[in-house]
Amino acid sequence: MITTFLGHELKAFWRSKNTGKSIAIRVVMALLILYLFGCILFIGLILDKFLAGAFPHDDIVISFCGILLLYFLFDLVMRMQLQELPTLRVQPYLHLPIKRNTVVLYLAFTAMLSAFNLWPVILFFPFILKIILTDSGGLPALAFILAILGFMLFNNYLALFIKRKANLNGWVFLVFVALLALIITGDFRFHLYSIRNVSYLYFGHLLGKPALALLPVVLAIAMYYINFAYLKQNLYLEELSSRKASAYKSSTEFPLLSRFGKVGDLVANELKLIFRNKRPRSALVMGLFFMFYGLIFYTNSHYGETWYIFVGMFMTGIFIINYGQFMYSWQGAHFDGILVSKINFRDFLKAKYLLFTMVSTVAFILTTPYAYFGWRIVLVHFVMYLWNIGVNTTIVLFFANRNAKSINLSKGASFNWEGVGATQMLISFPLMITPYVIYLPFSLFKHANIGLTMLAATGIIFVLTRDFWVKKLEEDFIEKRYTIAEGFRNK
Amino acid sequence: MIEVRNLKKVYNGITVVDVPTLQINKGESVGLVGNNGAGKTTLFRMVLDLIRAESGEILSNGEVVAGHEKWKDYTAAYLDEGFLIDYLTPEEYFYFIGGLHNLNRAHVDDVLTGLTDFFNGEILKKGKYIRDLSKGNQCKVGVAACLLQEPQLLMLDEPFANIDPSTQFRLKNLLKDLNKNKGVTTIVSSHDLNHITDVCDRILLMEKGVIIKDIATSSSTLNELEAYFGVEVAPSEKES
Repeated sequence: MITTFLGHELKAFWRSKNTGKSIAIRVVMALLILYLFGCILFIGLILDKFLAGAFPHDDIVISFCGILLLYFLFDLVMRMQLQELPTLRVQPYLHLPIKRNTVVLYLAFTAMLSAFNLWPVILFFPFILKIILTDSGGLPALAFILAILGFMLFNNYLALFIKRKANLNGWVFLVFVALLALIITGDFRFHLYSIRNVSYLYFGHLLGKPALALLPVVLAIAMYYINFAYLKQNLYLEELSSRKASAYKSSTEFPLLSRFGKVGDLVANELKLIFRNKRPRSALVMGLFFMFYGLIFYTNSHYGETWYIFVGMFMTGIFIINYGQFMYSWQGAHFDGILVSKINFRDFLKAKYLLFTMVSTVAFILTTPYAYFGWRIVLVHFVMYLWNIGVNTTIVLFFANRNAKSINLSKGASFNWEGVGATQMLISFPLMITPYVIYLPFSLFKHANIGLTMLAATGIIFVLTRDFWVKKLEEDFIEKRYTIAEGFRNK
Repeated sequence: MIEVRNLKKVYNGITVVDVPTLQINKGESVGLVGNNGAGKTTLFRMVLDLIRAESGEILSNGEVVAGHEKWKDYTAAYLDEGFLIDYLTPEEYFYFIGGLHNLNRAHVDDVLTGLTDFFNGEILKKGKYIRDLSKGNQCKVGVAACLLQEPQLLMLDEPFANIDPSTQFRLKNLLKDLNKNKGVTTIVSSHDLNHITDVCDRILLMEKGVIIKDIATSSSTLNELEAYFGVEVAPSEKES
């Protein structure tokens, strides 16, 4: 039975729209995963040198023992955020004559198939094999491996258990996260204790008494059985689904937008789309993280102004790029409704422009503190802000007319390839290259100011001629809308 | 109201809609019946300019539908959940649709009050997004949004399929009232032959994309349809 389940699981993976149909996407996806994998493996391989550099006064084995528990603490935090409950997939089997134990066993088993259970192995095992095996011999090395696997699985099932509990009662999640935050701040902010010392206390003794490795293994097994028993008792749909028990949803209004009339109404709807759905919301949050992008470049004098153009464009326009590249897909689920209702497509486009302008303006204001690194940076930001609301919005909407892949709004954004197609690959070229086509010829001949002026002027010209672009985009859309709508209907 | 000329739609070499000519007059109530895959929804979508016809054209009030937008002023339709903006609350959605037709909130509230019975206390002020409603309740939202637009042409695709018996009954009365007293042209599809013959004065029977029967509803219509569908399903029964 379990093999049948696994067979179905594989089919579900390869046949899901998420996986992407085109070979190009699969190749890029595989490369990206390999790259990430390689990076971590690299860190794992040089962990001894890294530790020697980070804690020059300690023995590397001591520092290694010290960071292990810390790692698992952060691992737990990350799992709480990102690990998905492998649950709803059993729904089609619940009513069939299959033993509950089999279903639960399968659920508990597949819960192990998570990328989180790969990181500790590739991060720490090279160190164990390289240093501990040669220094202390086979038994302690084996003890370390067992202990790390034990903690890993313990974390795995603890995170899932808390998540399942939290589905029924949101407070569980808050309390648990608060507890984790307390533990972490207790060390790093208040210095009440040191997690590294606690970690060394355990892992240090592991070298002398390998039998201690059984402790985390026992913990992991206990956690597994708690999970198993809990699942078996609660094998009901509303407890399994990752959907939270819904609170009262009230209607919201944006009074500021109502002065823009119908266009304002459309923007209000789109803002609700962003705030009320998981994937666009995470696109927005990622955009907020990009506000720190400048810290990487501005703190390092190595990067000149040519880089600032790029950084400025990203920081003021990340929303346009990140959200805009999937334009219309966000509304794929109700695109028929939009086409049929009395919405003038020109208004629809103007609403997109208004939304982009608003968010970019906010982003620009948020980046003004970078004035700390010199006012010229704010100037570059402002120029790129003009460029974004002028040129990039139009580029993004031009490509939106060529995108017909629908997106499931309720899924998370990380490692989600749904809706990704050739459009998203193509769109990055004009976005990245065009500002440099204008700027570089001037800056190379030491006339950077003229280059910036040209960028700003182009941005302003595009803003002033928006009506013209809206008209062009509308004509283009009228031709392509059947294809777009049909693409969205084929979910 | 609606005029169809030489309309054809082909998917992968299979003709799914083939209507040489069809005239629907103002104030008619038309029922569309046919088994799955007969082309009912495709026909609806073409009338709403959602899919491109291979050949032929559809005129609404004398104007070609494709590429024009005037018909949106007086046409309201609910085909499936794809017509609803599912992350809005029903209230937000109604105000939005009302706003598109320049109706103020008071006006929208007024219309919604008139639909209290139809909603049966399950739609308004429930604190749910449309996506969290059951299919039947989503259908109610869709139908109500149509009524809000005060259309001259109303198109519903299988509106009876998911709603409870009370609502089916109320919806039938609503449709009759709209057609008889307000002169709204209605086009409704359904698999329920009782309902459709009750509501509609004219029945179009589709089979494999072709309208094979076009009958004015009379006392014998129901029997005629039942005979057709019965025979189609099990031809052997007739012989025995």
